Amino acid sequence: MVFNIQRYSTHDGEGIRTMIFYKGCPLRCQWCSNPESQSSEPSILFDARICKGFGDCILAAPKAITLNSNGVHINRPAISHPLRLKDVCLSRALTVAGENKRVEDILQEIEKDLPFYQQSKGGVTLSGGEPLSQGPDLTHLLEELRMRNIHVSVETSLHVHWKKVARCLGLVSTYLVDLKHINREKFRLFTQGNIDLVLTNLRKLVEHRENIILRIPVVPDFNHSMQEMEKIINFAASLQHIREIHFIPYHTLGIEKYNMLGMNYSFGSKKSVDPSELTPYVNYALTKGLITKIGG
Amino acid sequence: MPVLEKLLVSERVSALRERVLCIKPSICTERAKFYTQVYREHEDKPVILKRAIALERTLKGMTIFIEDGELIVGNQSSCHRAAPIFPEYAVDWLPKEMDELDKRPGDAFFITEKHKDELADIASWWKGKVLYDKGLSLMSQELRDLQDAAIIKATGNLTSGDAHIAVDYYKILAIGLTGYLKEIGQYQSQVKRYESEGIRKDHFYTALTISIQALQSFILRYRELAYELAGRETNQERKKELQTIGRNCERVAGQAPGNFYEALQLVYFVQLVLQIESNGHSVSLGRMDQYLYPFYTKDIQKELITREFASELLECTWIKLLTINKIRPWSHTRFSAGGPLYQNVTIGGQTESGLDAVNELSFLILDSVGRMRLTQPNLSVRFHKNIDEAFLMACIRVIEKGFGMPAFNNDEIVIPELIKLGVEREDAFNYSAIGCIEIAVPGKWGYRCTGMSFLNMMRVFLATLYDGQDKYSGKTFYQGLGNFVDFNSFEDLYRAWQHQIKYYARKTIEIDTAVDTAIEENVPDILCSAFVDNCISKGKTIKEGGSKYDFVSGLQVGIANLGNSMAAIKKLVFEEGRITKKQLIDAIESDFTGREGERIRYLLLNFAPKYGNDDDYVDLLLKDAYMEFIRELEQYRTTRYNRGPFGCKYYAGTSSISANVPNGAVLPATPDGRKAFTPVAEGSSPASGTDILGPTAVFKSVSKLPTNKIMGGVLLNQKLSPSAIRSEADKQKLVSLLRTFFADLKGWHVQYNIVSRETLLAAKKEPEKYRDLIVRVAGYCAFFTTLSPDTQDDIIARTEQTL
Ligand code: SF4
Repeated sequence: MVFNIQRYSTHDGEGIRTMIFYKGCPLRCQWCSNPESQSSEPSILFDARICKGFGDCILAAPKAITLNSNGVHINRPAISHPLRLKDVCLSRALTVAGENKRVEDILQEIEKDLPFYQQSKGGVTLSGGEPLSQGPDLTHLLEELRMRNIHVSVETSLHVHWKKVARCLGLVSTYLVDLKHINREKFRLFTQGNIDLVLTNLRKLVEHRENIILRIPVVPDFNHSMQEMEKIINFAASLQHIREIHFIPYHTLGIEKYNMLGMNYSFGSKKSVDPSELTPYVNYALTKGLITKIGG
Repeated sequence: MPVLEKLLVSERVSALRERVLCIKPSICTERAKFYTQVYREHEDKPVILKRAIALERTLKGMTIFIEDGELIVGNQSSCHRAAPIFPEYAVDWLPKEMDELDKRPGDAFFITEKHKDELADIASWWKGKVLYDKGLSLMSQELRDLQDAAIIKATGNLTSGDAHIAVDYYKILAIGLTGYLKEIGQYQSQVKRYESEGIRKDHFYTALTISIQALQSFILRYRELAYELAGRETNQERKKELQTIGRNCERVAGQAPGNFYEALQLVYFVQLVLQIESNGHSVSLGRMDQYLYPFYTKDIQKELITREFASELLECTWIKLLTINKIRPWSHTRFSAGGPLYQNVTIGGQTESGLDAVNELSFLILDSVGRMRLTQPNLSVRFHKNIDEAFLMACIRVIEKGFGMPAFNNDEIVIPELIKLGVEREDAFNYSAIGCIEIAVPGKWGYRCTGMSFLNMMRVFLATLYDGQDKYSGKTFYQGLGNFVDFNSFEDLYRAWQHQIKYYARKTIEIDTAVDTAIEENVPDILCSAFVDNCISKGKTIKEGGSKYDFVSGLQVGIANLGNSMAAIKKLVFEEGRITKKQLIDAIESDFTGREGERIRYLLLNFAPKYGNDDDYVDLLLKDAYMEFIRELEQYRTTRYNRGPFGCKYYAGTSSISANVPNGAVLPATPDGRKAFTPVAEGSSPASGTDILGPTAVFKSVSKLPTNKIMGGVLLNQKLSPSAIRSEADKQKLVSLLRTFFADLKGWHVQYNIVSRETLLAAKKEPEKYRDLIVRVAGYCAFFTTLSPDTQDDIIARTEQTL
């Protein structure tokens, strides 16, 4: 299930790229800036600021959506078929993220920017959510892209069963792997995930000599300290064949989306990390012989 | 090509720049007085002689000055940025608008009480004699009604003249002014004075001689002044500078220039006097990095000049270009916000043999314009597949400065299409941008490669829905094929559009014909004709058919709105039935008010495809609808047809400056969800806020237009936030983006506005603090604070691409 296709993406891999954002993520990172990507079901976003009060959503789902003194109220669990609400709201205050797109349709969108990829050495980046969690359609798409000679990057947390990774071997040009932390406890606390799964998969991927770029989200209270970052960088440097590491500063641009999804943003820090704060990490990584970059 | 290291702006140049920026535009009455005197004294003479004598008297009598620090000299009026008056075009409006001039919401002018009295006097003599009156009287009542109803606008050409031209600077620099006198003399000696044609030619040659000699004496006046100032000057360095200025003037008044400095001075004098002779704007400088290059390299090789000094001279020239000013009636000012003169300089491109023409001077011009950050010149870069990569990156760095320059034109489409039109190969390779984004071959092309009449496309579309009735004026100019509510299919509507648009296309030509005839008869340009092939050999002014080529274009306004409106109706009314015909009509008539109206508006806005998102549904519909207009247009010829020039054809154009605002201001609500009287989309850009898929999708949509039929320019304006191109990698991606648009998609033009929304909002609030803030308004740059609030709002509202 896809929730967004974004053309002219310039910060997630080489050249000019089209990003395919998939729904569904096994992790629940507290700082996640794409909360609509987490659930593998369609999500309802509601932006009260642009609601005109036309009431079409109430007519379409009278049991779940009601009008009270605070405006429109949405009882999300009571909506059994969210996709039915897709084109109901005229002002697009209520939208539904997530659509089962056929591989052909995704390809059609991708091919629209073909000449731009060719000039810029760009291509496609699959992202999410966790793209590797997707079903067989994913490999189908990858095969089609390979046939068309389109460069593919995949952004992944590697928090998936190895066989989900293995099926992509040879079909992906670059893996942009999230290395959020290497401390088991911290990782579990902040993402509800298991770091061992990630690290084992990463080592296997390295063994297969795949082209990997590590991306470290730099998040306050989580890993934004020299002490922790040194450990992460040391680990990265210890992996053979890994040459490049990117630091992605934590930002708060996604917070509003939590409100729109009826979710709580429980993460402590509400202040973005300034890229300049990352200079010591970059310098340290350089001493380890890594190619570095701030941002994607 | 080495990337030149950063040069610093000299103290002299920053002082000159600051001084010009501080000047409040005013009015100068000198030209008006001289022209009126001559016209009064010589009522018996043919107009061509009257105009030559008037130019002569003006150049002889007008105030001249050389300001402290100036290296390039020449002034247009009694003080910098004072607009001269051209009473012979139109002057009625002046006494009427005089008291409001300094209160205009945009482009205000300061005027003294004394000048007001003088102008009132002058205006009273010109009653009934001006171009404007004569042009209107050539038009049928129907044509005047169409203009009064503001569906077609052509009064700008009558009140402010033609231009949109670049003269042959190669030749001027090669043979010098005396060379022209010789050539004219030779042709004049062969004139058969016993033929009526001969008499006319004889007068023309006499007028040419008077005008060129007038230009020469004008230049010599500066020689005198420079020497006189040098005599009094105590600062030894400045004394030497003034002596050089004097020597330069002495040389170029007669002979061809011998070095870079002299060449530049001569180019500036010609550029200046063309804008004293005539009132038209977009007088352009052509391919400056090409015709000045031989002088430049020679001087550098002989070590007569340093790169730093050459840059300083260029900078002084840019500042001088900014001192030239023009006042337009308010009705026309609204169409060209910011008061610019669109003096275009074109660099880059290819040589006649198809090699990359970028040279060191191209870099120098680019960088010096970048350092000045002024509205003039309007800098265009000719892109081609093999253009120097370092040069493109240098262009992006100038774009990053956020004053909207350079804009790009594309050799990959322009050259092959010109050749297809029948333009000779070497001429096609030598084209340059004129004004904003339109193109012509300098020194070989007639006036108005664009900018004839403006057609409000959406008014025509609305008339299509009402059996031909124009709801805004209540008039039915051309009976339609029925009312929208009676149409049974989208095809019915489309047929009705074909029917209406043909009529309006024909009317724009009728109006242009009247305007051209009036201009030809009443305000022939002499000096300008001297510098355009083949006027001298044919013995004809440009307007009489003297130029080698003649292709013109009007401007169609509201392109994106047309496509979006059609797509919305096709999809929501005829295919999905989500809106009934009556609901649609009720909604636009009520300007989408009331709950029902608003609902319809959101449907139209959010549930129909929009141009600018790479969606064939709307993009191809728009192409077809526009082609209906173009096909009709292609059947007509200009007034020069069969009189000499090659071509004499019309093509389409969308470089409609800021006309999207006033055209929107006379347009009721439209079926694309646009509210009544708000701006329409500018040029060929997507409608404000509707292009939500980013720049690649915009480029794809734009490239689906029939670009080869829109040789008057396919204007695309994109706004960039400064953050979008901060890093080298980002700049590289922008270069790739441009390369794809031009080399693969064969786009026509793009220009970038790198300004954040916050900056614009702040500038609107506190104009004093943002005096030098420049934005790209459609095809050119303007000081943001001089724009009217409406235009400011429109710019602010445009989508900020997240590049
Ligand atoms: S892995 Fe990415 S998408 Fe998944 S929860 Fe974490 S930040 Fe969000």
